[in-house]
Amino acid sequence: MTSPKRILSTLGVYVILLAAAILTLGPFLLSVMTGLKSPAQFASEDSLALPRPFSLENFTTLLTGPGQFGSAILVTLAMTSVIVIFQLGFSVLAAYAFARIDFAGRRVLFWVYLAGLMVPNIVLVIPLYLMMVELGLRNTFWGLVLPFMFGSPYAIFLLREYFRGIPQDLVDAARIDGAGHWRTLVSIIVPLSKPILATLSLITIVSQWNSFLWPLVITTGPDWRVITVATATLQSQYNGNWTLVMAATTLALVPLVVLFLAFQKQVVRSITISGFK
Amino acid sequence: MAQRFLSFAAVIAASALALTGCAAGDAEDEKTTVSFRLWDSTVASAYEESFAAFEKENPDIDVKVNIVGWGDYWTKLRTDVAGKTMDDLFWVNNSYFGAYADSGNLVNIDSALGKDAREGWQDSVVDQFTRDDTLWGVPQLYDAGVAVYYNKDLIEAAGVTPEALADLSWSPDPAADTYLPVAKSLTRDSAGVPATDPAFNGTAAQYGTNIAYDTQAITLPFIGSNGGVYQIGDSFAFSDPKTVEAFQYLVSAINTAKVAPSAADTNTNSDFSRDAFLQGKMAMFQSGLYNLKNVADGAQFDWGVAPMPKGPAGRVTVTNGVVVAGNAASDKQDAIAEVLTWLGSEEGNSYLGKTGAAVPAVESAQADYFDYWEGKGVSVDPFFDVVEGAPPIPAPTGANYGKGFEAFDPIFQEIFKGTLDPKVGLKQAEDAANAAISG
Amino acid sequence: MLAPSLFGLAAFLVLPILVVLWLSFQSWDLLSPITPVGGANYADVLSDPTFYNSLAVTLFFVVIVIPVQTALGMIAASLLTRGLPGSLFFRTIYILPWVCAPLALGIVWRWILAPSDGLLNDLIGSRIEWLADPALALPSVAAVVVWSNVGYITLFFMAGLLNIPQHILDAASIDGAGPIATFFRIKLPLLRPTTFFVLVTSIISVFQLFDQIYALTGGGPFVVTDAGTYGRTDVVASRIYSEAFATFDLGRAAVMAVVLLVLLVVLTIGQQLYFGKRTTYDLS
Repeated sequence: MTSPKRILSTLGVYVILLAAAILTLGPFLLSVMTGLKSPAQFASEDSLALPRPFSLENFTTLLTGPGQFGSAILVTLAMTSVIVIFQLGFSVLAAYAFARIDFAGRRVLFWVYLAGLMVPNIVLVIPLYLMMVELGLRNTFWGLVLPFMFGSPYAIFLLREYFRGIPQDLVDAARIDGAGHWRTLVSIIVPLSKPILATLSLITIVSQWNSFLWPLVITTGPDWRVITVATATLQSQYNGNWTLVMAATTLALVPLVVLFLAFQKQVVRSITISGFK
Repeated sequence: MAQRFLSFAAVIAASALALTGCAAGDAEDEKTTVSFRLWDSTVASAYEESFAAFEKENPDIDVKVNIVGWGDYWTKLRTDVAGKTMDDLFWVNNSYFGAYADSGNLVNIDSALGKDAREGWQDSVVDQFTRDDTLWGVPQLYDAGVAVYYNKDLIEAAGVTPEALADLSWSPDPAADTYLPVAKSLTRDSAGVPATDPAFNGTAAQYGTNIAYDTQAITLPFIGSNGGVYQIGDSFAFSDPKTVEAFQYLVSAINTAKVAPSAADTNTNSDFSRDAFLQGKMAMFQSGLYNLKNVADGAQFDWGVAPMPKGPAGRVTVTNGVVVAGNAASDKQDAIAEVLTWLGSEEGNSYLGKTGAAVPAVESAQADYFDYWEGKGVSVDPFFDVVEGAPPIPAPTGANYGKGFEAFDPIFQEIFKGTLDPKVGLKQAEDAANAAISG
Repeated sequence: MLAPSLFGLAAFLVLPILVVLWLSFQSWDLLSPITPVGGANYADVLSDPTFYNSLAVTLFFVVIVIPVQTALGMIAASLLTRGLPGSLFFRTIYILPWVCAPLALGIVWRWILAPSDGLLNDLIGSRIEWLADPALALPSVAAVVVWSNVGYITLFFMAGLLNIPQHILDAASIDGAGPIATFFRIKLPLLRPTTFFVLVTSIISVFQLFDQIYALTGGGPFVVTDAGTYGRTDVVASRIYSEAFATFDLGRAAVMAVVLLVLLVVLTIGQQLYFGKRTTYDLS
């Protein structure tokens, strides 16, 4: 039964959904479009005009020229990979301990970890800057990654929940076969936790690739500049040169947009079970 | 005690390194690499040429040029000095070097290169960077004064001759003011209606002038040419009545007469006016020699240079110099001294002039600069005549200038936007800035 | 097994908090030696209206931005859970901002909102100084933040709505409840755990807000009064950053960080006490 009223309301819903979609996508599309324009076209034509001709000049300038975006992308990639691998590895260990090993103070300690979730970065940035300077690690790769390598309270929390859901029987069976904690973890728990590990990897990749405040403070100059800092630096140096700046934001955004579209389902699931960035 | 606590904190974190087995190790090189930081990319290419020549003569030293944009320069300088990641050599200007000299972070030029080294350097720059009888940097470039770049096509279209442009005077008294009427006739809305016409729609598509919150090119010259003051010693004196008058004139030119870009554009983008001028959307662009090469390379139209407008107190400009300072904390002092000696020599400094990028501060190298621009058919006289015509207003200075700047800067931004009365705002800016430098 | 993460917790969370606490009693400008000044920084910051201004700006985000984005997320979620074809496609689009760097998105919006050459002014054909006008800057920045967050919030509400058993909705429909009534009487109460979760995470993220502000306004524009100069978009993180890395007053910055931390602890405890019994989240 489709009454006219119902059709009308469905139509209304689509209009709203479409308007919201345009509003969401518009800035992305327009920034890519502007990055593909020549400065001359940008200065003389309407903002909505299509790039004519398509000009990759802004992108080649960024990758070969003063912004050194090529190097920034590599540094970001290296930083993200190291953090993801170490953070997840150490988080798995901790989560296993919290989920499967009984020890004194477990509960209290777990709460301390959770409390760490609410400490804003800005509170930690200043003391960490001092500590890294004392260690001579300012503007080094280790300065960039060290604070995030040893696990994240958030990953530990999610992994612990997941590990506790793994049937005790499986673990017991391994135990009977004489497996210690390490073997249980490696041969039983981790293989069964692939979905949550994939999810956590995605979340960590997103948050590290996009991180800005810490790299801004701890690095200087082009050697260890990450993509967000490179974009911000370019913006302040080429203020008003919007075609170049939009090419830079495009370079910063595209890798994750592609990753997102490729792993869309997993990302959606990861957000739903997570909540924190 | 304080330091010990911090070191203790560091040691704990250091064990992290041991754990991951990744302590940073410095690779030994036979070559010494010396890094050099500056904020101006135009001059950077001249330096690249200079260092190429230097490296030929000194094969054991490599000089790496590192550009840090003006917007981040002073923040990065401070966090890098504190973070022990500062480049070995770096540009500093008159406003900011004091704090670094006082805290012992700069190489003492007199002891590194000898007292006689300064002989051939531009006196005004040497004086600016001498503090406690010690020179703290090797003069690199000399800014001379400000003048007005103009777009010949635009002024001709408005019936203004270059001669008339050279003879403008501004004044808080409208009867004596010939500058604003000309600026108005040079301002057009998108329909091409000049601001002198009642039909002008109030939004300029072509700007008459670049009046804005630009300390070196606009604010100080207007204050100076009205007989006002900016600082008395190290402390700020914005509430001086003549200074207030000059601000009122500038603010009303932007917000009432609308002959210049809105402060919303220029406050956060110091290149807005230069870009507008180069795009042919601005008739008069008052600036310094630091933009000469940008204009010569970027302008697709006929342009010229006129003297800055006369004020009630004559033509008073500001003049600035830039020096290269050595990082006292670096462990490459010998190489630093070598590079400093080169940069202070006629040959080393001459590349700045030969490429037309900047006026060398080594006097014997300055001829190259004049030759370059004469060859291009450009007269740079207006930038120099104004310095000789009247004593310039002193450039901003003080050991704590940066701190004062952070206090008055937001207030100045609002004054120029017209959201804050200049008289009230300048008093508040003065108090806030003086409180900041004393605290 | 716990050792690495325990080390990380000690070295990069507990220790920094101790260092910032210590630093809050020192005076340091990054150049001169660090000198102890007792409680002077606290007296200074706690009587400084610019700090209270930054707390007020942050509070604005809590009381205005969070409700707006939560409501929009709920609306979007209920539109997307009507079983209409294409819902998943729209959902995918809406989450896009979540995966993107807030800094880069902030710069894109800086262009859109630029007074000259900006997209928005181009489209509407007039000149509005979105980010420079003291009256418009905060709403503009808030709109950008809402734009970035709505999709992500929508997802949670979608999950929550899809968890509501169909028979409850059917029963309501048989009783003659219209869609509006069903939403307020049935769905909203059942969504309470989701709403709580969304609100808590949103509040945490407001205190993290920095990148967009840095990219869009740097904390300005400014309102100048006799008591001080206030940045209209100067959230607490941007204030702390400016104190530390623009004015180089590390002691004051540390005090602000400590105060922020204390506020958050109080807030979290209060939240637990108030909501603790009402939620179904089990953290034991």
